[in-house]
Amino acid sequence: MTGIEDTASRFRELPFSRGKSRVDRDRLLRIATATGLLGVAVALPFALHTFFIFQTTMVLIYAIAIIGLNLLTGFNGQLSLGHAAFYAIGAYTAAILMEKFGVSYVWALPAAAVICFVFGFLFGLPALRLEGVYLALATFALSVATPQILKLSIFENWTGGVQGLVIVKPDAPAGLPLTSDQWLYFFTLAVTAAMYALAKNLIRTRTGRALMAIRDNPLAARSMGINNAIYKAVTFGVSGLYTGIAGALGAIVVQFVAPDSFTIYMSVALLVGLVVGGVGWLPGAFFGGAFILLVPNVAEQFSKGLSGATYGLMLILLMLVMPGGFGGFLRLISMAPKPSSATTKAP
Amino acid sequence: MTKLLEVRDLHAFYGRTAALHGISFDMDQGSVTALLGANGAGKTTTLRAISGMIKRTGEIRLRDRSLMKTLTEDIVRIGVAHVPAGRGTFLKQTVEDNLRLGAITRHDKAGIAADVEMVYGYFPILKERRTQPAGLLSGGEQQMLAVGRALMLRPKLLLLDEPSFGLAPLIVREIFSILRRLNKEEKVSILLVEQNASIALELADHAYLIETGRIVFAGCASDIRNNEQLRRSYLGY
Amino acid sequence: MELLWQQVAAGFASGAIYACIALALVMIYQAIGHVNFAQGEMAMFSTFLAWQLMQWGFSYWIAFIGAVGISFAAGIVIDRLIFKPVRAGPVLTQIIMFVGLLTVINSVAGFIWDFTSKPFPSPFGANPLFGSWLISTHQAVMIAVTFMLLLYGFFRYTRVGLAMQSAAENPASAKLVGIRVEWMIALGWGMAASIGAVAGLLIAPIVFLEPNMMLGILLYGFAAAVLGGLSSPGGAVFGGFAVGIIENLSGIFIPVVGAEMKLTIALLIIISVLVIKPTGLFSVNQAERV
Repeated sequence: MTGIEDTASRFRELPFSRGKSRVDRDRLLRIATATGLLGVAVALPFALHTFFIFQTTMVLIYAIAIIGLNLLTGFNGQLSLGHAAFYAIGAYTAAILMEKFGVSYVWALPAAAVICFVFGFLFGLPALRLEGVYLALATFALSVATPQILKLSIFENWTGGVQGLVIVKPDAPAGLPLTSDQWLYFFTLAVTAAMYALAKNLIRTRTGRALMAIRDNPLAARSMGINNAIYKAVTFGVSGLYTGIAGALGAIVVQFVAPDSFTIYMSVALLVGLVVGGVGWLPGAFFGGAFILLVPNVAEQFSKGLSGATYGLMLILLMLVMPGGFGGFLRLISMAPKPSSATTKAP
Repeated sequence: MTKLLEVRDLHAFYGRTAALHGISFDMDQGSVTALLGANGAGKTTTLRAISGMIKRTGEIRLRDRSLMKTLTEDIVRIGVAHVPAGRGTFLKQTVEDNLRLGAITRHDKAGIAADVEMVYGYFPILKERRTQPAGLLSGGEQQMLAVGRALMLRPKLLLLDEPSFGLAPLIVREIFSILRRLNKEEKVSILLVEQNASIALELADHAYLIETGRIVFAGCASDIRNNEQLRRSYLGY
Repeated sequence: MELLWQQVAAGFASGAIYACIALALVMIYQAIGHVNFAQGEMAMFSTFLAWQLMQWGFSYWIAFIGAVGISFAAGIVIDRLIFKPVRAGPVLTQIIMFVGLLTVINSVAGFIWDFTSKPFPSPFGANPLFGSWLISTHQAVMIAVTFMLLLYGFFRYTRVGLAMQSAAENPASAKLVGIRVEWMIALGWGMAASIGAVAGLLIAPIVFLEPNMMLGILLYGFAAAVLGGLSSPGGAVFGGFAVGIIENLSGIFIPVVGAEMKLTIALLIIISVLVIKPTGLFSVNQAERV
């Protein structure tokens, strides 16, 4: 009847105190799933037609971009409508280095990463004081400015102006029995896996917790000794880095960059991918990437004249049914119904 | 005396978690009843359940009228004024606008104006600050404003959630003495949730002790005050 | 010098339009705490409704009133059907709802009325808004200022206005004083839709009616609302005029970039303001007790 007895008996009901079996079982399940998925991913290019390999590669690329956005918006709470800009910077960096300077695509990626990190960080600094819809406007300005700056005549020699740049598709390294599409797929897969693992690690550590603390309660975070300014600006940089790498890969795979590919519509699409996949849930990026690549096509097939309406309607229905995206949905169905909390006897 | 409030087998839920496990109690018209207990016992939950702010099952009757199928906005219009934990002040609005918001469902201009003056009579400091944004008020002043706003509804029943929270003892005494006057002079029945059991028991006629969602003791406030063993076991003093 | 004044006047005229859109955005922001990214598309659709009514033989003013009235109702319906279910959910989910909504509206409008530009009559008679620029600019400004005063009066002096503001500021407390919070929000939507409709009806004669006509204007209106501070109708109007003038002047006076970069320059200026005053020019400084 007393409070202490209640608490003790309830403690005995908790899963982890029943031994480590449940924790182990979860871990085993997770490793099995990851291995299975990886196996499928590796087998894919040998089973699919070229175009589908291309599409799957693009899904992975968008996933990287969305992971970048997730780090900034999902885990750190800084809303960005400007990520098309980072994608564009990464894409153009790769294109210019490869076409104008003959740099190998392998080195284009780190270059894009560094440049985009710097841009992100430099943007993040003045953006420190902005929040919510005000930050949205500032990042929105980025999206608007990017295609316009890329079209400027003074940069034409580098950027190719309105027409953009064409990139030569790299071949698979000599000796490997792969088509260039298949090779690019594996290259992208490797980069994706590495970036994903990096992000996962980041979130797991103190840094990740600091980011989330800043998102949930900036004042409390500061009073715990977290330097909000540095974390926020660096997160912007890292986020830019991720999306920039995605952009560079995108440029290589699509073999083409042009200013009008990187508009506010792409920024919005990335945001849609983030929410549909599940904000604050890393694996969601793959669902999101698949969504933004495939669903517009599906909508178009469904009704040519009303493709936009179909897409919009699907989006609305999806949000009504799964407000937390796929991540939220999976979390909901994986939660077993709780045992009744009435474990104590009446007084 | 007529029963003002009857609660029977009340269960309340936050999402899927049950926080109240079937509590039952009554309140007489014109009385002050205290709900006491430790943190997380379910006192605030009880008030929220009465106001319809959370999911609940069971029966709640105000003067024999069931509140179970009624929305919060309508429960308020029937005559239940709820001063929530944390005061719930409209920080951006002025003090006077906060009071007027209390009367937003009323249409008798003269009556509203008279009630505003009545509130100022009980809480003169509010009159001094009538044009200031409520966000600038101190904790004690905001508590007074919250009570004042509730009074503007001319409530039959006033639900007070931890009015002493975060306030200096002197201010708490001042507020509680005003509550006593309100109960006696304006005939406002009060259901009071408090962690500060001693001051609550000075004001209350009856008290219920809640522990992990159940009532574990019921009785007259004076009985509890005088029962040292009870006080020590449950109220810590 | 003549050129300068002409540009300023033109800036005022377009600024009046931006002010109307900004007002609609502030209206919804006051009601629900979010920016309605679909505002432009809703305004466009309302204008098409008016056009359709005129095609069916109704006079301009009947069509005007009809479109505004239908928009009011439509705003309420959109809120109850689409946004009410996700109100308690994450902010980002609601933003995506806006994306879905504007995509649907744009697509449906294009489907029904196709994408060719259609001429649209002006309420000021046959003269286009920039014709005799002194007089018609004056009219545009009058409309925007009138709206602003009406809204200001609404929020400041009416019970419904106070109730609406409070419902947005603190929905839980608003319920506890008996305010029907859900209907306040729906009302805000209806009002915003109506104001947007008027803005669309004013702009269509100038840019010609077609489904994508509001895109650019929405951006400017959004920038104007944010510049003004999202919490004050006066700020929205000021922001609208400021953006209109900045846009026109920067197009002329900043060489190299010319007309293409007008929006970018305008946004740059606004962001610079935001960095100095992060919540907009006229936002009330919220003293917050921690």
